[in-house]
Amino acid sequence: MSESIVRYSSRSRARAIKSFLSNLLGHAGAQLGLLCLVFFLVLSAVPNILVGPLETVATATGDFLVPPSSQHLLGTDEVGRDVLNLVVHGARISLTIALLATVISLVVGTTVGITAGYYGGRVDVWLMRLTDFFFVMPSFVLALVITPVVLEVMGRGREILGFRPSLFVILVVIGITSWAFVARIVRSQTLSLKERTFIDRARVVGSSNLSIMVRHILPNLVPQIAANGALVVAGAIYVETSLSFLGLGDPLQPSWGTLLSLAQRAGAASTGAWWYLGAPGLCALAVSLSFVLVGNALDDTFNPRQRVIP
Amino acid sequence: MAGNAQEGRTSRIGNVLIRAAITLSMVATLNFVLFRVIPGDPAALLLGGARMSVSAERIEAQRQNWGLDRPLFPDQILDYLSATLHGDLGYSFKFRGRLVSDLIWERLPATIALVGLAQLIAMLCGVMLGLYAGWRRGGAVDRIAMGASLALYSTPSFWLAMVLVVIFSTALGWFPGYGIYSPGASIGSTDKILDYLRHLALPVAAVALGLIGQYVVVARAAMSDVVTEDYMVTARAKGLTNGQMLMRHAFRNAMLPLVTLITLNLGYVVAGAITVEAVFAWPGIGGLTVEALNARDYPVLQGIFLLLGVSIVAANLLADLAYGILDPRIRQ
Repeated sequence: MSESIVRYSSRSRARAIKSFLSNLLGHAGAQLGLLCLVFFLVLSAVPNILVGPLETVATATGDFLVPPSSQHLLGTDEVGRDVLNLVVHGARISLTIALLATVISLVVGTTVGITAGYYGGRVDVWLMRLTDFFFVMPSFVLALVITPVVLEVMGRGREILGFRPSLFVILVVIGITSWAFVARIVRSQTLSLKERTFIDRARVVGSSNLSIMVRHILPNLVPQIAANGALVVAGAIYVETSLSFLGLGDPLQPSWGTLLSLAQRAGAASTGAWWYLGAPGLCALAVSLSFVLVGNALDDTFNPRQRVIP
Repeated sequence: MAGNAQEGRTSRIGNVLIRAAITLSMVATLNFVLFRVIPGDPAALLLGGARMSVSAERIEAQRQNWGLDRPLFPDQILDYLSATLHGDLGYSFKFRGRLVSDLIWERLPATIALVGLAQLIAMLCGVMLGLYAGWRRGGAVDRIAMGASLALYSTPSFWLAMVLVVIFSTALGWFPGYGIYSPGASIGSTDKILDYLRHLALPVAAVALGLIGQYVVVARAAMSDVVTEDYMVTARAKGLTNGQMLMRHAFRNAMLPLVTLITLNLGYVVAGAITVEAVFAWPGIGGLTVEALNARDYPVLQGIFLLLGVSIVAANLLADLAYGILDPRIRQ
């Protein structure tokens, strides 16, 4: 951790970034994961160009539950919609929910963790008790009771930021229930960072507490936040898929979990329609596994214990 | 010194108990608040639901009867807490006139059988495989087990359940993919147990497979931490055989983090079981959750949340206390 006292020129910074990237890409898992993520990001960026607009019951193009053929590469569902079309559009919804939920959870977790670690004392005790609650209760269990109630309160009216209300509620609820693990890691890092001399120096120069936290502590936390952020995305995908599967999703903007829920209701498993339930499930598995692999690789790359001293 | 150690232990247990109490009170508060923010008058909802119209006088009388006309804080919340402590969780919306506690009580055995059996299998297979993978780190078993575990770990368990149904029930016809007993099966007790076990096979496999992934990862990490410890080098230098090193030093130390992690895991196990039960129409807590969600049966949902909260907190308490007993370093 001697980087903090080395003054970086732009050239050494470029070299550091390059060595970080080559370290990261040295992991076979990271390569596979990144490749897979790029693939799904492309899918979710331009679904309309790839497979046309989202098919509805009215615009369905095929027969009911047809196995994969040259016309429908992944077969059709119980109302004749093309499964490939549904899955590609589902990528956009699943990924957006997971990524936005992660952003919320990282912001909340980092704020709570830095504040608790930096101020210590009473603030620390109470913030950590709050964190304990969210750490102990799984995000899925909390979301299971909070989501339907919030939906009832808000009503199923207009779209919010391009999301149907139920999806918006799900993403916010996942975000505010899955930050505890980030907060704990950030707090423990902050505890050791705040004892370092550059923090004292900043205080002597007259920086405010807020400025020390944001400008001096936060940048040093980026590695931990990034590595754990990848794991939070995987968790968010899991929770979103499970909630949607239980019927809390929105059939008008189907995520992969909603597709699996529809497949379950149509009896896809007992009629042997493997293409209908296989496609969305494999996608969820692939994306979540990719984030876990990338997260592990980031952790390996950043972990000072395993870094070879030059 | 002895007095000090005793004191330290008491204060640690006290701390653990305080944390559990705070978490429980937050679960109860959340339950209370969530139920109150739902639009609509609880009395009107309970008497007639949204569809039936009930006379205003009857609702007013019932509001007084249930104390709903009194202030939320402190009267109503105290009432709620004391009722909850007495095991009164209110009445279900969907199953008219049924007590929530009765509904949950009826469904509990099916879930306990499913979760217990899956947990047992996952522990036996996952922990053994993980410990072996960590012991022979970088070997063929390690690489295959790690790859498979990461994939299983990222798979939603209900999807695993659906895949199992397609393969073993629909295509091969080995196991039933639905329910708990075959309709019209013979009543003979041996047959009934066999039938039950056959129905249990796929749900248990789905929950257990999801857990095995997790346990392999954790057990492997615990074992690899132990293997690099100095005392392992000492053991090797003393001339212990591999088996002796594994049994006397590595295994016991690696089990330490595993015991707590497996206990702490309860919340995630039950969460996974809820969705798996939905796939198999398994008549447990998960099945009840899905019915309650679809009917927006809030009292039942709150009851389930309370049950999950209490069991998760209890598991945590157990893990904390067990750790204190198992690890002498914490005791002192």
